[in-house]
Amino acid sequence: MLHRSHIYGVMGEFSTPDELIHATEKVREAGYRRVNAYSPFPVEGLSEALGLKRNMVAPICLLGGLTGGLGGFFFQYWVAVIAYPQNIAGRPLNSWPAFIPVTFELTILGAALSAVFGMLALNKLPQPHHPVFNVPRFTHASSDRFFVCIEAKDPKFHLEECARLLQQLHAHHIVEVPDD
Amino acid sequence: MAAQEYPAPESVGRLQQRALLIGGIALLFSIFGAMRSPGPFYQSYLMSFMLILGLTLGSLGLLMLQHLTGGHWGIVIRRSLESAVRTLPLIVVFFLPIVFFGMKYLYGAWLDPEELQKEPLSKFQQAYLTTGWFQVRAVIYFAVWLLLMFLFLRWSKEQDVNREDRALRLRFKMFAGPGIILYVFAMTFAVIDWVMSLSPHWASTIYGFLYVAGQLISSMAFMIAIVVLLSRTEPFSGVLQKRHLHDLGKLLLAFVMLWAYFDFSQLLIIWSGNQPEEISFYRTRLYGGWGVVAVLVLIFHFFVPFFLLLSQDVKRNAKVLPKIAMWLIFMRLVDLFWMTRPEFTSRAVPTWLDLVLPIALGGLWLGFFAFNLKQQPLLPIGDPKLEEAIEHHEHHEH
Repeated sequence: MLHRSHIYGVMGEFSTPDELIHATEKVREAGYRRVNAYSPFPVEGLSEALGLKRNMVAPICLLGGLTGGLGGFFFQYWVAVIAYPQNIAGRPLNSWPAFIPVTFELTILGAALSAVFGMLALNKLPQPHHPVFNVPRFTHASSDRFFVCIEAKDPKFHLEECARLLQQLHAHHIVEVPDD
Repeated sequence: MAAQEYPAPESVGRLQQRALLIGGIALLFSIFGAMRSPGPFYQSYLMSFMLILGLTLGSLGLLMLQHLTGGHWGIVIRRSLESAVRTLPLIVVFFLPIVFFGMKYLYGAWLDPEELQKEPLSKFQQAYLTTGWFQVRAVIYFAVWLLLMFLFLRWSKEQDVNREDRALRLRFKMFAGPGIILYVFAMTFAVIDWVMSLSPHWASTIYGFLYVAGQLISSMAFMIAIVVLLSRTEPFSGVLQKRHLHDLGKLLLAFVMLWAYFDFSQLLIIWSGNQPEEISFYRTRLYGGWGVVAVLVLIFHFFVPFFLLLSQDVKRNAKVLPKIAMWLIFMRLVDLFWMTRPEFTSRAVPTWLDLVLPIALGGLWLGFFAFNLKQQPLLPIGDPKLEEAIEHHEHHEH
């Protein structure tokens, strides 16, 4: 209990993506839920191993796209029909075919921006510092090593037990991650 | 794994027999229709021919595309694409009735002296739109496509035997780019001759691309249906994975969007210009019964598949995706109906020939396709990327 306020978690280092996935699966099988994995590149199957639920980026993107599209269309409608009606070559005021390109562009703009910013917000980014950076070897997470971290917030968390589990999974270096 | 030969399962043989049987029966009905009412027969024939041509040439385009870009999706469908491309000689045979008997029923607008008196052709058209040149150009188009077919199929066969041949891999890439340009170029001119000349006083520069995009939809949809069918039995059951389907579904979505983009561009430009000689195309197609068909095409060829295919779950679902694919092939036929038929009649109602002829040509084509599929291993066994392409990444749950 005493540890919890001082440490962020326990981290084990692995040298291949397959080891990483295997270790992640085993850690979750052991009942830990506050687990995260770090790798230099996207590893297929890691999300499943971590038991990550589907995130909200896709619905946010859809919503952004619909907002952009509808907003784009009805803004043009408002300009052309309500605010500044003009007779252009006898065409109807609601010249909807002419509105489509802008509607299309704004759909893409809305979808793209909401996907990017939605993803950043859901990841709580930008985040200048994270406790895992306290581990010197963690720099390898952006080049050639793979890490699994069991976080102290996990209700089952116990420092020695977690370290022992990671040892059984043949982690190279097992370190305590200080929380600051 | 490397020694495996991936023979076609028995289901392909059954598919061949059934397709040939149904196609043959439908063909008998069609011949009866041709003798009774040749005019409507050739109208339906042209529409059906364009659909089947799309399945073959769309596959030629996709075959070259996947050589150019690489990607695991291409390796999984490559043999199916090649089998579809190899039906090209049958397409040539299908084209013969149009040249020898059908032209006078279809292209009256530039063949019939009475029609010409009403609306004379320009000087250039008088020289360009003649029976002789129509035939010469058709020979050129088919020669281009047959040459591409011959080259890509022969090299693919060579690769099966000699997988270490680096020069061969380079050649695939070197020829695929120019090949795609040749295919689209020939297709543009072909569609001007075969379809756009139905109304020689109207012209659109995006018309060829419109058909190319449609052909890519047809072919990709057919490929999805075929690989899912193959994956029901050994040896393909262990090959096809959700990530492959996901990629194929994404491409299908992209082609649907591309087609809609081209189709709408044409409408927007003609609508904005509002020139009498240009709007004739939409005057006949956006009002009355044809207007209803236009709305059906918009909803069921674009909106419904578009919104369905947006979903990742749908693209990865081996039950739903082939249904959408088959639906799109049907909608291609409806679109071709809407593109061609209003030149002949204001009645937007299909005849019985519009049912029988697509089944006749489609059945024979499918039979030939299945026959081709049996001739080779179901996967390009000489492709150096094969093992990587069919490797299982997905860690199964416990």
